[in-house]
Amino acid sequence: MSDERFDERLKEAARAYARRLPELPASLDDRVMAAVRTRALPASAARGADPARRGRWWRWLVEPQQVRPAWGVALAAAAALAVWLVPRRAAPLAPPATPAVAALPAADTVYVRFELAAPDAHQVALAGTFNGWDDHATAMTRGSTGVWSVTVPLAVGEQRYDFVVDGARWVPDPTAHAQVADGFGGTTSVIVVGPKGVVRT
Amino acid sequence: MSRAGRMACLLALGLAPAAPAWLAAQQPSVRAALEARGLPADLALAVDSIAARAGANGLPEGPLTDKAVEGWAKHVPAPRIVAAVAAYADRMVEARAAVQGGGVREPDGALISAATEALGAGIGAPSVGTVVRAAPDPSLAAPALTVAAALTAQGLTADQAVTVVADAMRGGRTMAQILDLPSVARAMQDQGMTPAEAGRRILEGGAPTGGVLGPAGGRPGGSPAGPLPPLPRPPRPADHPPHP
Repeated sequence: MSDERFDERLKEAARAYARRLPELPASLDDRVMAAVRTRALPASAARGADPARRGRWWRWLVEPQQVRPAWGVALAAAAALAVWLVPRRAAPLAPPATPAVAALPAADTVYVRFELAAPDAHQVALAGTFNGWDDHATAMTRGSTGVWSVTVPLAVGEQRYDFVVDGARWVPDPTAHAQVADGFGGTTSVIVVGPKGVVRT
Repeated sequence: MSRAGRMACLLALGLAPAAPAWLAAQQPSVRAALEARGLPADLALAVDSIAARAGANGLPEGPLTDKAVEGWAKHVPAPRIVAAVAAYADRMVEARAAVQGGGVREPDGALISAATEALGAGIGAPSVGTVVRAAPDPSLAAPALTVAAALTAQGLTADQAVTVVADAMRGGRTMAQILDLPSVARAMQDQGMTPAEAGRRILEGGAPTGGVLGPAGGRPGGSPAGPLPPLPRPPRPADHPPHP
């Protein structure tokens, strides 16, 4: 069968099929639309189905409107005030307690090992500028020979500290770089931490 | 309102919640921090008052709160803590003037604090200015003053300590090398030198770091520039490894 003949027969079949379809009344569209309007939509469908309503917020954002500039500033100030009034927590002076070897130091910190021979002590801690002078923050570990030690990451620069023996006695470090007056009638140990650490004998 | 203006307002609204945290970070409440640390309210209030006056005068508040906490931790009576904090604040005023005399018109808190410690160690205001002037960069003046104060506390005379640090900076030594000076001086004294001898040895270039005051990187192998032979490195016990 040639292509022309095939096309002709296809068109004839289509015309015969169309002749068999019933004639639809002209009022059908009106009746269907009237039925749709009388049936209430669910609330959720009504909110989402209306493209005009859905785009209202976005249009408010992007289209020019007549809004007083002071309103925006006032709203921002009100929001800031509301959050400002929320009670604030005081910034802690001391960092959380550190184990014998703390976390990885930053680039400008180095590990420094502190030791104190105190065979009769029951507990020894390290307190100084680096831990907010908290005598509970940096506990030292007792070795078998009665030497207490701890390794802590310290920032490069000057650090002041003391050992706290048995929670009450503040003892200077005999191996520190220097002892200086603490302003309270006592002394405080001083070390200057360089990028390579602290060399002590 | 234009679109850009409305977007700016919305951005301000979005960032508004972060504003209190930012402001709080800039101006932490000294009193609240001290009370959180366990100081009684009246002591915290007294220190807060001193710190507020210092802050209004452009001085750092941190060293004052740190001093108060140190005293409280050491069970120092409150009146003595307040007196020590007030004395430190007064010394900071002198320290700032000394730094300004060295050519830094608006020193930051770290430099003022370091100069305060230097004054407390017995270094005079003119000598503080000398160290500040010798610093190749104002940011290096604070650690240099810290080292000078530490050397003085180790027993070197103030003039010796200032000369050592100033000459080291003028000789182009790195700040890492200068920060090692207290370790060097301590090692020398542990080997039997007097503080004066240690200071003289460092000035003459016989320091174990290869001549602290010698020409910067001028000799291979870090050999000392001075007339004295190099000292051995300070001994390190086996249980005290070099710190990274």
